[in-house]
Amino acid sequence: MGSLSSQTPVSGLESARRAWRDGWQRVLDAPAVAAGVFAMTLLLALPLAILLQDALASHLGSSLAAETAATGVNYDWWQEFTAQATGLGTTFSPSVIGFAAVLENVSGVLDGRTPIAPIATALALYMTGWAFLSGGIIDRYARQRPIRTHGFFAASGVYFFRFLRLAAFAGLVYWWLFAYVHPWLFDEQFANLTRNLSVERTAVLIRLIFYAVFGALLVATNLVADYAKVRIVVEDRRSAFSALSASVRFIRHHGRHVVALYVLNTLTFLVALAVWGLIAPGAGGTGLSMWAGFLLAQLFIVGRLALKLQFIASQTALFQANLAHAGYAAARVPVWPESPAAEAIR
Amino acid sequence: MHTLRPFAAAFILCGAIVVAASARQEPAKEPLAAVPSPSSAPDARSPRNANYEIDARLDDDAKSIRGRETIRWRNITDQGTSELQFHLYWNAWRDQESTWLRERRMAGLFRPPPADAWSSMDVTALRLRDSSGEMRDGTKAMRFIAPDDGNTQDRTVMSMPLGRTVGPNQEVEIELEWTAKIPRPFARTGWVGDYYFIAQWFPKLGVLESQGWNTHQFHAATEFFSDFGVYDVRLTLPRGFVVGASGRQTARTDNPDRTTTHRYQGEDIHDFAWTASPSFIDLSQRFEHPTLPPVVVRLLLQPERRGQADRYFAIINATLKRYGEWFGAYPYPNLTVVDPAFQSDSDGMEYPTLVTGRSRWLTPGSSQTPEGTTAHEVGHQWWYAMVATNEFEHAWMDEGFNTYATARVLAEAVNPNRVESRYFGTFIPWSFRDIPFTRVDNDRLPGYRLNAEADAPWTPTFRYWPSTAAIITYNKTALWLHTLEQRLGWPTMQKIFSTYFERWKFKHPKPADFFDVVREVTGRAHYWFFDEVYRSSNTFDYGVQEFRTEQRDDKTFTTTVVVRRYGEATFPVDVVTTFEDGQRAKETWNGQERRAVYVYERPARAVTVQVDPDHVLLLDVAYTNNSRSLKPRGGEASLKWSLKWMVWLQDLMLTYGFFV
Repeated sequence: MGSLSSQTPVSGLESARRAWRDGWQRVLDAPAVAAGVFAMTLLLALPLAILLQDALASHLGSSLAAETAATGVNYDWWQEFTAQATGLGTTFSPSVIGFAAVLENVSGVLDGRTPIAPIATALALYMTGWAFLSGGIIDRYARQRPIRTHGFFAASGVYFFRFLRLAAFAGLVYWWLFAYVHPWLFDEQFANLTRNLSVERTAVLIRLIFYAVFGALLVATNLVADYAKVRIVVEDRRSAFSALSASVRFIRHHGRHVVALYVLNTLTFLVALAVWGLIAPGAGGTGLSMWAGFLLAQLFIVGRLALKLQFIASQTALFQANLAHAGYAAARVPVWPESPAAEAIR
Repeated sequence: MHTLRPFAAAFILCGAIVVAASARQEPAKEPLAAVPSPSSAPDARSPRNANYEIDARLDDDAKSIRGRETIRWRNITDQGTSELQFHLYWNAWRDQESTWLRERRMAGLFRPPPADAWSSMDVTALRLRDSSGEMRDGTKAMRFIAPDDGNTQDRTVMSMPLGRTVGPNQEVEIELEWTAKIPRPFARTGWVGDYYFIAQWFPKLGVLESQGWNTHQFHAATEFFSDFGVYDVRLTLPRGFVVGASGRQTARTDNPDRTTTHRYQGEDIHDFAWTASPSFIDLSQRFEHPTLPPVVVRLLLQPERRGQADRYFAIINATLKRYGEWFGAYPYPNLTVVDPAFQSDSDGMEYPTLVTGRSRWLTPGSSQTPEGTTAHEVGHQWWYAMVATNEFEHAWMDEGFNTYATARVLAEAVNPNRVESRYFGTFIPWSFRDIPFTRVDNDRLPGYRLNAEADAPWTPTFRYWPSTAAIITYNKTALWLHTLEQRLGWPTMQKIFSTYFERWKFKHPKPADFFDVVREVTGRAHYWFFDEVYRSSNTFDYGVQEFRTEQRDDKTFTTTVVVRRYGEATFPVDVVTTFEDGQRAKETWNGQERRAVYVYERPARAVTVQVDPDHVLLLDVAYTNNSRSLKPRGGEASLKWSLKWMVWLQDLMLTYGFFV
């Protein structure tokens, strides 16, 4: 911890490796942060799950169809349910089982599918929650020492409006990517390039290239926004615009380090997905096996959250190693009850 | 077949002369080999009253075909006719005002195609042999007609006055020349890359019935009806193309102009389709069976699906075996199965002795791809190619019968057989090991459930609402046949279908003919059933309205069961009540009235009640309400599935978490 130094020139890969390791250390040193974001992920999903449970229970009633639905899969009932379902019920497809959920969700984003309104609302709330907590999270990881709950939320509040302004810039780019670039790539160009194709394998290859191109654009935007957030917190920057340009400068000057770290983190993510692909529980039954399966799934969610935190922590570590020093944060620890409103009128 | 050998030899000899003399781009002008009326052949299985000799040349650069055909047609009705009517299918995609495209638009299934996608079929010359034996030009007398909807802009049916009456059993000979622009794939015909699938491609006669010509326009939901005959077809293509076609290949001649002429002949078939691509992997296997005639199975496979050859052959053989054992032998010596190219839109089609399967580059071993579609299309050799119903009017008699029979084959021959989903632009499959495909799924209940009332099957199919036509044609029929099977038993159903096949192969049966066979085999007319499933669009829905059990003073229990008919259609159903002591009370309710009430005085309390516990009535659109339990597990089941769903939602949140 705190072993990175900006004084010793190191290769991009070595720097990334150190930041990766340091990031994990910072994540593990602050388990409350992981617990907090897990609680948010659970608590936001729970009410919707309860609504869906009501709908499922109502459709099943006291039918014997519930017997097979409880002990395994009653696909006939399932299809009957979805045929009459509205709202959340329409999202209840076989893709909720095991690893298919990951495929469905990643594919949905990359294919530009729009979620239905209640899900979109939950996603918007979730992303707002992350935008709020990110300040506290980065601040905690940057300082590498406990800042207690009040310090964490004070930092979250202090940086929230800066992050909202940043999110407006980033959101504009994401919107442009999904509203214009995505249809241009996947509807127009893909259709043009595959128009005379009689070989599916080639179409798959083209599709993969397009995913890579589009993914690279998303990642580039993501990187700029990520380092802008880090710079806002570590350097106590007030202007989102200046943070963005500073982020671009940092990425340009430390491109190999940044990319190598992103690749390392992405590989870690892919390994985690592969493991989940192997152990993800199927439909299962009820009782103990159901709860065991649910617990395992929650561990996967915790793992994914830890990976997301690792992206943040390792990027913070990398930035500090190159332009500051470990544990450095320009601002003093924000003091409760300094509120976001107070920050906003400064 | 040996008696045809002299004629075949004459064909081949003349064909060779024609090919040698025609090293040019025009279709051969020399007279085609004279063929005595093939109907006189002693081994003819069909009336052979519509016989075609076709000579066609593919222009690979222009994506067009020039052809010439000689049709020898015999009037097999008891009425005379003074005209001929032809299908010109490819004119359906000539412009947006054809009936086909109007119907597609009406169904919301139309997207404007690219400018080079359109096709056309123009008859450039038509000659009739008059009574003196001379050919008389009839080109100027041709006119388009629209017998179904009066659409004057539809050019898919052409009428040709004969200038005389062709009486019963009299024959007429016609020569046509035509040019056709090949569409980009439209309704499973066309080209993509170097792949061609060419169907509905030549001017084809309608069917003369006692009431007159039955020549429907090309509609969005229906395709075929034509008479049986002998086809002798020469296809000239650039050298290097692998060609597959209806019938069997009898000659292949390389021409000096770097083209190759492929000659195919088929007897007792009522249509002819072909495919060509230089990329096909050409594989063959011989189907053999102790009691069925051998069949040479040719598989034209896409190179990228080389690894699926065994799966294709396995399901083709399984289908030939089971249909052969169940319904009757496949009598042709060969069968060609085409693995269609990506984006060719030619998958899942049936033509006599030539069918197309359906597959994807990536397909899990436990999925029904390519098995499902391949079994279905091979099965059409029975229900379409041999028992040749009027698909314009009674499509359910081939598609529905075949969907039902396919589901039986898949249930027996494909294992494991699981539901799959596809992601990432549908390119990446995922098989659900927990969800097996069942007969119910293959009989397509889910699709039917949503559109059960769309049309009554007695309505001529071409008048079905285009977007739901397939639901009624395929799904409803398969479901009511499955229901009938559950009621009568498979041995009886098998006898019904084998009797029907034997009686109506190489003929054009109508619905009443099938119903008559059912009556004959079962000894009952089953009018009540066919009234519901064929003559009506009513839905079936039985359920439990009330179920309670109460303890009496004498320690016995009073159990009350109220079952209800929620749908308009009726069907007799069993009602089974189970008690805690393991006893069961079974009632048979005729299902006619809205409700039936059963009250039991028993020493044990009731635990469950089920209406139609064996799921005989597969057409029941809501089976969940068919049962009740006094120890319900709906809470457990809904908890389990909502937890699964919650994990999916959490994962989705985290996926979107990428953006913050």
